[in-house]
Amino acid sequence: MASGKAHPNYTAVWLWLLALLGLGVAASFLPGGRTFAVLVIFATALAKATLVAANFMHLRFEPALIYALVLIPLLFLIVLAAALFPDFVWHSLAP
Amino acid sequence: MIARLEAEGIPGGITAGKVGVWWFLASEIMVFGGLITTYIVFRLGGPGWAEASQHLSTTLAAINTLVLLTSSFTVVQAFVAAERGDARALRMHLGLTILGGFIFLGIKAVEYTTEIRAGFTPGAGIFWSFYYMMTGLHALHVLGGVVVNGVVLATEGAKVKNPHRVELAGLYWHFVDVVWIFLFPLLYLV
Repeated sequence: MASGKAHPNYTAVWLWLLALLGLGVAASFLPGGRTFAVLVIFATALAKATLVAANFMHLRFEPALIYALVLIPLLFLIVLAAALFPDFVWHSLAP
Repeated sequence: MIARLEAEGIPGGITAGKVGVWWFLASEIMVFGGLITTYIVFRLGGPGWAEASQHLSTTLAAINTLVLLTSSFTVVQAFVAAERGDARALRMHLGLTILGGFIFLGIKAVEYTTEIRAGFTPGAGIFWSFYYMMTGLHALHVLGGVVVNGVVLATEGAKVKNPHRVELAGLYWHFVDVVWIFLFPLLYLV
């Protein structure tokens, strides 16, 4: 971000991060089925990471080149997960 | 000379130093992403992982998450101070960030000691191998970030000459924070 531009409200972002941390930890104590708890836990993690990247790392203000640098490795990760997935299915089906 | 090259604009309106740091972070995404993806696939495919993770201290890890999130906030405040040319505020916020890094590593050391004393060494099972590999690599990154922040503090602390360096060091520190944001639920909460 070039100097002189307005900054995001860093304090508000920090308070949101703390609230999301509390929510994620609280969700891990939810009774009953794990699926909902796991969904909440990872949704809060994703929200925290997005808040940090967009505001603290100033991604909100960056041009397309920086986005490309972030998105291309994330795309590779999806490919990696897809490539590893058959192995997991194989092991869970094997006797 | 180097500082001038870092701060120099390239077409698109960003500085060369920033492209360099993001490029480095892109490779880091693959380093941690590869580990995390493998961990998820292994964990989905094998029983006993959830029981093993019960032995970890969620309380200590939650405190550590709080420490890292807060240190991300202080390093960004250091950047705001650097932009203003306020060396005193820069020293305070960078100092707090470095302190946060040391607190994180201290708590991590307590965790490791407790776990190893209870017999959960890196060879105690595949969950523990992944746990020590992922958190150990992350802890080394925290240590690296502390050194980088220390260098920035030493060079910019008296008089702010290159405010963009504070932002670049901050980018790396936030990345280390983001990695922990995912390690915490993966290893401790789920």
